[in-house]
Amino acid sequence: MKKKTLYKIGVHGTLILILAAVAFPLYFTFVMGTLNHQEAYAFPPKLIPGNRLFANVAEAWQRVNLGRLMVNSAVVALAVTVGKILLSILAAFAFTHFHFRGRILLFPLCMVTQMLPLPVRIIPAYGLMASFGWLNTYYALIIPYLASTTGLLLFRQFFLTVPDELPDAARVDGAGPLRYLWHVLIPLSRTNIAALFVIEFVYMWNEYLWPLIVTTDPKMRVAQIGLKMLITTERTTAEWNIIMAGTLVIMLPPLVILILLRRQFAQGIAMQSTK
Amino acid sequence: MKRLALIAGLLVLMVAGLAQAKTTVEFWHAMSGSRLKVLEKIVSDFNAAHPDVEVRAVFTGTYEETLTRFIAGYRTGTAPHLVQVYEVGTQTMIDSGAIIPVYQIPGMLGETWDWAQYVRPIVLYYSVDGNLWPYPFSSSTFMLYYNKDHLRQAGLDPNKPPTTWAEVEEYGEKLIQAGVVSNVLSFGWPDCIFEQELALHNYLYADNENGRADLSTQVTWPDAFSVKLFETWTRLSQKGIFLYGGPEYDANAAFTAGKISMLLQSTSSLDGILKTAQGKFEVGTSFLPRFADEPSGNSVIGGSSLWVRKGQSEAELRAVWEFLKYLSQTDVAIYWHKGTGYFPTTNAALKQLMDEGWFVESPNHLTAFLQILSGRQDTAAALGARLGPFPEIRDYIRTAIEKACAGTLAPEAALAEAAAKANRALQEYRSLIK
Amino acid sequence: MEARFPGYRLLPYALILPSIAVIIVFLVVPFAMAVQQSFYRTSPFGTTTLFVGFDNYAQLFSAPEYVQSLLTTLAFAALVIGGGLSVSLAIAILVTRKIRGVGFYQVAFIWTYALSPAVAGIIWALLFDPSVGLGTYLIQQLTGYRVNMRVSGTPALLIASAAAVWNMLGYNICFYIAGLQNVPKEFEEAARVDGASPWRTFWRITFPMLSPTTAFLLFTNTIYAFFQVFGLIDILTQGGPGGATEILVYKLYRDGFIRLRVNYAAAQSVLLFLMVAAMALFQLRVTTRRAEYSR
Repeated sequence: MKKKTLYKIGVHGTLILILAAVAFPLYFTFVMGTLNHQEAYAFPPKLIPGNRLFANVAEAWQRVNLGRLMVNSAVVALAVTVGKILLSILAAFAFTHFHFRGRILLFPLCMVTQMLPLPVRIIPAYGLMASFGWLNTYYALIIPYLASTTGLLLFRQFFLTVPDELPDAARVDGAGPLRYLWHVLIPLSRTNIAALFVIEFVYMWNEYLWPLIVTTDPKMRVAQIGLKMLITTERTTAEWNIIMAGTLVIMLPPLVILILLRRQFAQGIAMQSTK
Repeated sequence: MKRLALIAGLLVLMVAGLAQAKTTVEFWHAMSGSRLKVLEKIVSDFNAAHPDVEVRAVFTGTYEETLTRFIAGYRTGTAPHLVQVYEVGTQTMIDSGAIIPVYQIPGMLGETWDWAQYVRPIVLYYSVDGNLWPYPFSSSTFMLYYNKDHLRQAGLDPNKPPTTWAEVEEYGEKLIQAGVVSNVLSFGWPDCIFEQELALHNYLYADNENGRADLSTQVTWPDAFSVKLFETWTRLSQKGIFLYGGPEYDANAAFTAGKISMLLQSTSSLDGILKTAQGKFEVGTSFLPRFADEPSGNSVIGGSSLWVRKGQSEAELRAVWEFLKYLSQTDVAIYWHKGTGYFPTTNAALKQLMDEGWFVESPNHLTAFLQILSGRQDTAAALGARLGPFPEIRDYIRTAIEKACAGTLAPEAALAEAAAKANRALQEYRSLIK
Repeated sequence: MEARFPGYRLLPYALILPSIAVIIVFLVVPFAMAVQQSFYRTSPFGTTTLFVGFDNYAQLFSAPEYVQSLLTTLAFAALVIGGGLSVSLAIAILVTRKIRGVGFYQVAFIWTYALSPAVAGIIWALLFDPSVGLGTYLIQQLTGYRVNMRVSGTPALLIASAAAVWNMLGYNICFYIAGLQNVPKEFEEAARVDGASPWRTFWRITFPMLSPTTAFLLFTNTIYAFFQVFGLIDILTQGGPGGATEILVYKLYRDGFIRLRVNYAAAQSVLLFLMVAAMALFQLRVTTRRAEYSR
């Protein structure tokens, strides 16, 4: 019996140590965000938090207009998530509840989106945004993201598991397909929608490359680009304490979502593996 | 008859109404941080003084991002009326077919303008066949910043900064031995420092008179001088004297934090550095270090200028021109210089600054001027190069410096590698323009 | 399957139209344009356009920087995948020993994945800042070597890989935990009864049964290392020093947007597409074969 307890303590102990090691970079980041200018330049670096966190955050906030950046990220992430889910549901509904010749498009559509990640089309896509006059607007940040075949496949799979009795009953009741979708299918898909919502929001919040090139106006940039702006503003002094204070703010929303909605987050991740 | 009068009256009202309408000038620029605030004040003062014009100054990112956006905008018909382009974009803009050379504007509007009122070296840099193409607005050059306190601590005379690279090495060793710093010198914009050193010693950067007589076909390096330069930097790096500081302004942080004693950087960083160093240490400035046994040239004009887009209505062009004239006013030019460290663009501004004792009060603001006014202005080498694919070529030089200092490649090999890529770029550019 | 709503002819098309429109306008059309652009060379302002055939591609293949970028990408991906998967698997194995709190550990590790690559980049940029980094300090204390990733290429690549592994750690661990939990215990126990050592049990029984998970993680980590890691590189090293961390996607960005070599970058886009297509098709074959296997 004792050996088993020793074993358990050993395993737990090792895991806790590993956890601490993995968390350490984040802890160091946090400490740096709390230091004042002198302490930030200390070498060996300080490991005890200072007391200037709020002052540093305020400074970072003001330097890159962090409030506006966070709002932009929130608006874009929300709009894309809602839009993406909506478009996926509509398309999945079409592919699973109707017979029409367009059904053969499903596979090519999915293949196409998987094989054309952003970098493969980025320069002409930028040119397109310039032609549309969408540079530095929410349109450029939102619309290109709205089609997702991951969502499409997910909902398709789920819709296929819904027994035929339900749509049949709806037809008998005289309900059209759209009413059925809105009143029956979508409520049934609540868990899927929630999971997808969470994971897509985090994914959009973390997007970097596309926002980098389609926005240059500081008022239209997103939180992730705020990181770059923090490092490069003025730059006569690279003040890590200010930079890290700003970083803590920028990384907060996905972490909060992870903590509060962890089941949906985990579900969302698991969903990606079912293809 | 009555109806005619009514229509005539309406027309008059309409025309009067239109005359009251504001002409908007869209102006894209790359001024960030404290320079942005100075620029915004200038723009708002202009708008207040000219109620029929509204200049909309839009910050469009770094110089690179601004140029990319301008190009994309021009190709899709959404380009601004006025754009700030950095000096390495000069040839691209000249060849673009997208701009009106600024010297033609007064004639187009039935006005005359004295182009000799601007500081000569700046005019020479931006002229084609003796005529000014962009409006010289934010010109700078490079100089040596140094920490006087550090020199004192190492037993060196704080009013005698190093003049030659040999002295840089000597001072560097002393500073390290005295334990004042572990690294002594860094560069901002290392690719620019390379250009500066070539011009400083009257060496051409590329053929065809540095691209000023005709589009260049190849660069002049690696040659004896450039290899010597690279070898010097590599040796200094190996001794720990030179610390490579990143592509743009990263090295400023090390200098203002007192971690290095010397910095070769743009004069546009002067105000920022003085402000940050205030109370910490005494900042001195001097000319860029040179080689004692090489000929003399000049430091090169850097920074950026304003370009006027083609295809504007007369009202718009007039509005743009009013703004450019406003920028030439002595008080505005002085305000811009004092707030940013960029050169005052007009001779009148220069004289007034001297009269008010500004340069006595702040001698560091005079250094770059003396450097540029005391150098040659008569050779293409001293004026600096004008190349189409300059941004790209700068990138290759920067990589070469990184590789040489890291020891990945020998100095000459690093230069040769960069030269091969640069020549290819020059020839491609030429084939597209000619 | 019967049509659940027979007789609707236009509605299904209307339902899929938005998705198809977005895909065509923002995915297919730009890619087609990139293919076309790759066969031309344009002056910066578009005043001249020359047809150059395969010249851009020829230049790419003979350019040392492109080859270096390709090798750097492969090296980086190998480090991220090799390092990431092995470390995650080891941790996942620990978690799935007969202890309580598997759920706790899953959440406790997943958070690194919630951080964006850019955030991971900035955290590790601080960690290994040549002047104030804790990592710099520790390495100096342990080895006496002052690591400076702004100057030396190998440390830069290693640090970037470490940051990427750290970023994907949570993701990989959670999938391996799930995978391990799905390995039927009977096989492991049977092997133990037969006298096999834990090491052999693992390699002969457990690991092969994990191959679906491993294959999946291989694919997702590759996509991460090729594309999503852009923000990390841009914040941490900007492709330097001397191109040591200039992976393919970063080189594409620099060539297209900084060096303004649009057509050259377009050719790189097309080559990147061929690589992705190969990976996607390969993964497709593996999953269909796997599906056959499990039947």
